[in-house]
Amino acid sequence: MNTQPHPHACHSPEHGVSRRAMLGTVGGAVGFGSLMQPAVAEAIKKTEKRVCLIWLDGGISQYESWHPLPNSKYAGPFRNIKTSIPGVHFSELVPETAKIAHKISVIRTMETKDPNHSSGVPRIQRGDPIDRGVTYPYLGSAVAKLLGPANPELPPYIWIKPGNGGFLAKEGGFLGAQYGTLALGDGKPPIHIHRPEGVSAEVDAARNALRQKANERFKAYRGASEIDAYETSYDMARQLMARKDIFDDSKLDPKDAERYGTHPLGRHVLRARQLLEAGVRFVKVNSYHWDTHGDNFNMSQRLIPQVDRPFAALVNDLEERGMLDNTLVIVMSEFGRTPIINSRLGRDHWPDCWSIALAGCGIKRGAVVGETTKDGAWVESEGYDIGHLFHTIFTLLGINPRKTRYRFKGQKLAIAHDDCEPIKEVMQ
Amino acid sequence: MRAIMVIWLLLTALSGRAAEPLHQAIDRLIAAGAGGPVAGLSDDAEFFRRVHLDLAGNVPTPAAVRAFLKNSAKDKRTKLIHQLLAGDAFAAHWTDRLTVMLLERQNLGKVTDDEWRTFLTKQLKGKPRWDALAREMVGATGQGEARPAMKFLGTANHHAMTENVARLFLGMDLKCAKCHDHPSVDEWKQVHYWGLFAYLNQTKNATNSKDKKAYLVEGVATAKVEFQSVFKVDKESIGPRLPGGQEVAIPTFEKGQEFAQPAANGLPGVPKFRPRELLARDLTTKGNAFFVRNAVNRIWFLMMGRGMSHSLDEVHGQNPPSHPKLMALMTKEFAANGFDIKWLVREIALSASYQRSSRLPEGVKDVAADRYRTAHPKAMTPEQILRAVLQATGNTKWVTALKAPANAEKFNRRGYFTGTNLELPSSYEEVKALWLLTYAEPAGMAEEDFLPGLNKALFLMNDRMIQDWLKPKHGNLVERLTKLKTPEAVAEEMYLSMLARLPEAEEVATVAEYLKANEQRRPAALSDLAWALLTSTEFRLNH
Repeated sequence: MNTQPHPHACHSPEHGVSRRAMLGTVGGAVGFGSLMQPAVAEAIKKTEKRVCLIWLDGGISQYESWHPLPNSKYAGPFRNIKTSIPGVHFSELVPETAKIAHKISVIRTMETKDPNHSSGVPRIQRGDPIDRGVTYPYLGSAVAKLLGPANPELPPYIWIKPGNGGFLAKEGGFLGAQYGTLALGDGKPPIHIHRPEGVSAEVDAARNALRQKANERFKAYRGASEIDAYETSYDMARQLMARKDIFDDSKLDPKDAERYGTHPLGRHVLRARQLLEAGVRFVKVNSYHWDTHGDNFNMSQRLIPQVDRPFAALVNDLEERGMLDNTLVIVMSEFGRTPIINSRLGRDHWPDCWSIALAGCGIKRGAVVGETTKDGAWVESEGYDIGHLFHTIFTLLGINPRKTRYRFKGQKLAIAHDDCEPIKEVMQ
Repeated sequence: MRAIMVIWLLLTALSGRAAEPLHQAIDRLIAAGAGGPVAGLSDDAEFFRRVHLDLAGNVPTPAAVRAFLKNSAKDKRTKLIHQLLAGDAFAAHWTDRLTVMLLERQNLGKVTDDEWRTFLTKQLKGKPRWDALAREMVGATGQGEARPAMKFLGTANHHAMTENVARLFLGMDLKCAKCHDHPSVDEWKQVHYWGLFAYLNQTKNATNSKDKKAYLVEGVATAKVEFQSVFKVDKESIGPRLPGGQEVAIPTFEKGQEFAQPAANGLPGVPKFRPRELLARDLTTKGNAFFVRNAVNRIWFLMMGRGMSHSLDEVHGQNPPSHPKLMALMTKEFAANGFDIKWLVREIALSASYQRSSRLPEGVKDVAADRYRTAHPKAMTPEQILRAVLQATGNTKWVTALKAPANAEKFNRRGYFTGTNLELPSSYEEVKALWLLTYAEPAGMAEEDFLPGLNKALFLMNDRMIQDWLKPKHGNLVERLTKLKTPEAVAEEMYLSMLARLPEAEEVATVAEYLKANEQRRPAALSDLAWALLTSTEFRLNH
């Protein structure tokens, strides 16, 4: 077909083979004519690596969650509680996670650079690689590109967020719009996966049969790859329409709602579990308004339990379903919060020493790592930048960040910051 | 004797070539590189739809298709091409295309989209010249009639201007040459980036203190720009220099002598040395091979669906034109014809290479897109799809006339896609916005390659606005079809309206069969049939 390389194609064999393989994305599609066999679906569930990124936009306070220091000079009003790991304490605001501390890792020495939200969120979610004059993809788009869909029926990257959804192309960066994300506003699928009112299933099947017949006639005499690519996007659309069950709350155990919580973050993490079970490769769940410049303690008291419950429930459920060894769960923000409590009883932005929680997919069980100064303000052991975290994530997903390169307009581009290494302390 | 013979032959050959119109030369040189059989000429219907989409931005009306099929004049294709090039629809459609190509849907700077479009459309209605357009955009000050051209320079960010001039007017994506020589394209050096930058780094926005409008002005250049490769220790410096050109010396003036005009009319003084003005002049000459080649490559892409060098901003030795001799000839003749855009478009449209069928030649299974052995299917642009869907379903008139009531609330566009907004858009402006949200690339991304997508397929399949257009109303296609008695008449009207061709016998049979099976729900069945063609590959592609 094209003798020139596709501008966004990496030169791996998958792209040499066919355009279809390249289109295994939200924008594009992979063509599997029929719905999957249940046994195949079961196999995906057990073997394919997946990711759930729980993103607390604005910045969760490490002091009020994973790194409480009640006797230090920067302490807030909350108590310490014991966790399931002897000698390790979390804040009393995360009681559910404290019970499963032996299943997760906590890194207390994140040391990143950018103290601003507007630049910090994209910088962190792109892994802050060395500037090569290109716009890097967000983590979800990167994983969608590097691993493709876990279940070819489903888009590889879905983003659950409050407010509106839609198809958001920008996260794909230089990989192109087709690696963007399908965003579910308030966890709901885009309206267009529903058959329009007044069109029955029979009529829809009949009119699709007419469409396919027309396509066969058109294709019979023509060879361009565009023709296959267009038809494939319809196959993908119909497959997603047939899988509306993954957005259906009525299929859930009513106890789940109780365990995850009925607030948006609880509902959205529960939706993420459904999607991961169905074989979505990467699910991002956003929660907003964590930017506690004022009234940090009341806000933390209200907000932090909202991530505590569903995070613990998700880790437990994934383990119970035999998926935890293949599913990486990350709870993080663009930075932590200042040790100093400001005059409005708030904590400001603090990239210099903050914490994240991780579980599954080769993350150590019960590792709480990183030495800080006694007041928790500064890193004393090794500090980890976002590049280290990206190396860790890619390595756990079976992607070698030292060898794997994107190809873009003749440039070979590292997938993560060249000067960073995986964080071995939290890897099994 | 022998020498005289050779000279005579040479002269004949030269004079013969000189008289050869470009469209014939295109066919000769494409044939020379075909490497296998080529497709036959498109039939009249195929040609008619294609040339309408390319030169008028829309599918033709069923009446126009009928008339063209009936017309037996030998020169009807040539006449049609001339006629379409002179039409307002050409100017409107190419305004879309050049706008998307040059601004990439970024609404930057103080000039409005409308002002920009009006400016461009006016040029395209007359005799648009690529060099003149580029000169007006790159040299824009905001003064005079060409004021809207300054939109190309956006917010006058020096790096963005450098990258855009290089990419869009030279076919060079020099982004990575900002920090070091290009790692894989040997001929793209860091000095190329900074040489262009030195033409642009004196430009800034200024607000006229009297009329309060924004203008672009230049400051006084006193020194070369310094740059340093991330791989090197030493700093380098360069004054204004075009890739492949000579460095411009930055003159020094005695203090107080730098200005040609003092500050006046609410704007700062005009320096004697204005590098951006020099860039506009020197960039756009016949002698600037990169500039001419880029222009030809882009116009060829707009007509043929792929650049001779593709991607369009990757024009360099490692991505040479698919037909080097043809590229050399086209650049020479384009420049000799005064960069006349319509002339080049017309010559391409007149060529048999453009007018080929998209069907594979007998016995051939696959052809490389860059050999042009068949017509390469092009994706309709986002603007075209909306127009074509409205035209094909017969809803253009009432939908384009939709206007929101004066006191209407702001339409929730995102909510329309998530189900929180269940209204149908009440203005054509909102209809367009919904289509662009679905089909357009994000701002700042080039729209070159066909990118089908799950969300786009779902939209065309299930959108309720489109379902509404497929219900019989306002004299639209489905309403017209309900009045036709026989399946033959239904099939003919439907295929002419939607696919701009007559149905084949088998297709008539399919229509008849479906209508028979759905006798009880005939209007709905007609919608189903129209829906199936609307979502078909044949409709989506300009083939």
